[in-house]
Amino acid sequence: MFWRRRNEREEDLERELLSHLELAADEQRENGLSAEEAGYAARRILGNTTRVKEDVREMWGWTRLGIILQDLRHAARTLRKSPGFAVTAFFTLAIGIGASTAIFTMVDSVILKPLAYRDSGSLVVIWEHVRPLFPNLVGPNPRHADLWKKQASAFSDMALVQHSSSGLTVGTDHPVQMGTVICSSNFFGVLQAVPLLGRTFLPEDDVKGHDNVAILTWALWQSLFHGDPAVIGKFVRLRDTPREVIGVLPADFRFPNANALRPSRSKQPLSGVPEPAIYIPAALDPNRFGWNGDYGNWVAVARLKPGVGIEQAEVQINTIQAQIERDMPAGEKFDQPSSLHASVQPMQEAVVGDSGSRLWLLMAAVLGLMFIASMNLANTQLGRALSRQRESAVCSALGAAKWRLVWNGLAENLLLAVLGGAAGVAVAAVGLSLFRRYSPVDLPRLSEVHLNFTVLLFSMALTIGSSLLFGILPALRLMRADPQASLQQSSSRMPGTRQSGRLRTWLIGLQVFGCTGLLLVTGLFSKSLLHLLNQDKGFETGNVAVAEVRFGNAYASDQSRTAFIDAVLQNVRGVPGVQSAGLVSSMPLEGETWIEDIQRVDKRAPESLINLRWVSPGYFDTMRERLVAGRLFEERDRSLQSAVLSEGLARALWQNENPIGAQITTEGRKFSVIGVVADSRSTSLKTAPVRMAYLHYVDRPPNTIVFTARGTQSAASIVSGMRQAIWKYAPDIAISRVKTLNSQLSDSLAPERFQTMVLMAFGGAALLLAMLGIYGVLSYSTATRKQEIGVRIALGATRRAIYTLTLGDAAIPVLAGLATGLVASILPSRAIQRLLYGTQAVDPSVTLVVIALFLAAAIAAALLPARRAASVDPMEALRCE
Amino acid sequence: MAKEPTNRVELLQGTLDMLVLRTLLFGPAHGHQIAKHIQRTTDEVLQVEHGSLYPALHRLERKGWIAAKWESAGKDLKREFKYYRLTPAGRKQLLAEESKWKRMTGAIARIMWPAEGE
Repeated sequence: MFWRRRNEREEDLERELLSHLELAADEQRENGLSAEEAGYAARRILGNTTRVKEDVREMWGWTRLGIILQDLRHAARTLRKSPGFAVTAFFTLAIGIGASTAIFTMVDSVILKPLAYRDSGSLVVIWEHVRPLFPNLVGPNPRHADLWKKQASAFSDMALVQHSSSGLTVGTDHPVQMGTVICSSNFFGVLQAVPLLGRTFLPEDDVKGHDNVAILTWALWQSLFHGDPAVIGKFVRLRDTPREVIGVLPADFRFPNANALRPSRSKQPLSGVPEPAIYIPAALDPNRFGWNGDYGNWVAVARLKPGVGIEQAEVQINTIQAQIERDMPAGEKFDQPSSLHASVQPMQEAVVGDSGSRLWLLMAAVLGLMFIASMNLANTQLGRALSRQRESAVCSALGAAKWRLVWNGLAENLLLAVLGGAAGVAVAAVGLSLFRRYSPVDLPRLSEVHLNFTVLLFSMALTIGSSLLFGILPALRLMRADPQASLQQSSSRMPGTRQSGRLRTWLIGLQVFGCTGLLLVTGLFSKSLLHLLNQDKGFETGNVAVAEVRFGNAYASDQSRTAFIDAVLQNVRGVPGVQSAGLVSSMPLEGETWIEDIQRVDKRAPESLINLRWVSPGYFDTMRERLVAGRLFEERDRSLQSAVLSEGLARALWQNENPIGAQITTEGRKFSVIGVVADSRSTSLKTAPVRMAYLHYVDRPPNTIVFTARGTQSAASIVSGMRQAIWKYAPDIAISRVKTLNSQLSDSLAPERFQTMVLMAFGGAALLLAMLGIYGVLSYSTATRKQEIGVRIALGATRRAIYTLTLGDAAIPVLAGLATGLVASILPSRAIQRLLYGTQAVDPSVTLVVIALFLAAAIAAALLPARRAASVDPMEALRCE
Repeated sequence: MAKEPTNRVELLQGTLDMLVLRTLLFGPAHGHQIAKHIQRTTDEVLQVEHGSLYPALHRLERKGWIAAKWESAGKDLKREFKYYRLTPAGRKQLLAEESKWKRMTGAIARIMWPAEGE
């Protein structure tokens, strides 16, 4: 509509002026001029028609908009004419915005995991601090929590939850191990979550005998029932108990898993912690528990009343704690007074935890990348402004309005910003979806990662802002500049003054500086990860598959478990392709568990803590753990009280004596040492080998067993065979996990791998940006120095000399930035050191690799413009002015 | 330029609007006629650059003081011209400008020729 009106007006004016010209020409003809001359005369009288039209348009009032559009078109044309600048700026924006947004979004949703509950700010978790028993905070005793709930007025409600994992059976299928949350009936009320289908728990569900109900998450509903709305009222079997499905949670409902909601993060996170998939009522009777014990199993989640602060709530809870401590029955009382405290923590904080240093590193990486992108833009903009200086001077000498000159420069920037910003969004979206599909790390909630618009806006504002800033500053200076002076001073032969050249050099240096830091950190983390993967583990993961089974109530007796293990082990050994098989009582690489005191029978020493494992014959062979002395477990050990020790433990207890045949005591029982195996990092790759003692599984058949099997070919090929081997004996047992030991290994390093991958993405993007920057500046300077180079060639400069000249231009800032970047990266090394394994924060080999990589990249970026400079045809260069 | 304007006077800024309005008091006219009329009545003393007339016309039209319409004219009505005519608002504006102008010339005259003014 706007355009039609404009066109009509335009036509109207054209016609009016034409009629005027015709009349005037008629008049002149009457004065005796020829037709042609009369036409000219008429035009002379009217004046410059374009000017008249412009003046009239200005009268119409909407011309500013018209001018803006016109300038945008003009900008598009000029950008097309200077592809070097346009390409550099465009890609810088796209990479800068895209990469930082994608990476940050990923980290934000995977690590930070914002809580998506209504008014989540008032949600808190409450931990107990039981100093004599635990050094850190622990989950509360349910009886204490019950009193908090009844007595503390700071909370509108409080719920208890426990993470668990249980086999879920639908119909006649084999059970599937599912993350289970056992919660008090008010749990969903505290979170203010509304079900998608059915209902949440009612108080009557929380009564023993009426608690056979379950609520499914959206994901479970989809995978088990394919989103069938008739699921409500159906029954599922959870640990052999049939439960009626009463509700389905919405797709966006999420409760943190056991790893994410822990009071203390000093311990290594458990891997293989399932995401909550099914919720069941706790039917908790607090009176069943003692007054001093049962810590650490439950989590108290509460909602603060409006206007109540954390401190206030904590004071209330601690008052109750003091009362509890006083009232404890004699048998349970603490030795020292003031032993029982509690701590109230915002739930957000509890979930995010103190991943502080990792987060800090990440923020630094994002800012570093943005910084490099901004430098790039500033640099290209400055170059652009300088090359426009003369053009602007000509324009303003010809009477162009100053604001239009400024706007002209701005229009170009806006156009670039819009295009680059859009490309950035596209890069971020594509990057995220690629990452989702090909993620090298199996992360929870990965499928739900969506673009974070806050971050997107932030990075866009920063890059586009800096681009505009550096675009408009020189333009504003032009406004003040005397056109005559600038016309005289800057002939097109020397557009870059020495001063501005230095500024741009500095910017390159700064960029290289930032990039070096990022690359160095990336290099360190990559090396650290490589070290974790390649260090001597003490066992071999190749071709090994593991299957974990947790026994339920059906296997309460030792005999039943022994029978199970004996039979299944037999079956596993019979699986085609299995070379050797065994079992162990804890999943390898999941940290220290079953920590016990061990002593020599003949000589007491101060406390010596070990990790106790129950294994079967064949376990050490399967894991390829090396025997150092004595022998490994054999069938005859079923009836002997035998123990195998790790080398470190044997040395600690017997120094250089021979421990074989000696007696040890642990768990109150005596065992004789039959062998010593080499130390291994089977608990964690990130710590030194811990001291271990191994017992035969018949000694005390464990509740959790991990079958290990080594295949003749790949481990993946025996995975399903292992599953069948277990189900052949017990079709109704839930297999928690079946996987290859290699994937268990990479899962145990998931945080490190994720971190390294993120940093590599950053480092790659930064390197790319730095290359763009170097390329942009060099190609600009060679373009403007074309004539100078032409003269040099004409005077006999060799191609080699020209290469040296142009590359030398880039070399100084690049080398300076590299050097300062390397030096500066020593500063945060202490903070980084904590996150590194087997790698020093100042590592010569990493530094060398970074230097080599950077120089190679810089040379690659500089080569193209240098080649262009060297191939300048002197005649052509001198002729074109 | 062909004709050197020897005894011509540049239009005082802001007076063109008034002259255009006054010209249109005689009846509707198109741009060329207006320019011609101003030139002719002042014995070619006042030089109206034809080009500058159109912005003025469009400005006046925008302000609602004059209205425009395409009408046929010429020897055999085969040509169309854009005729401008005064609107009531334009008439009022003309009166206002006129009195303003009178006051100004009076004031200037009193400064320039004090004796005659007394």
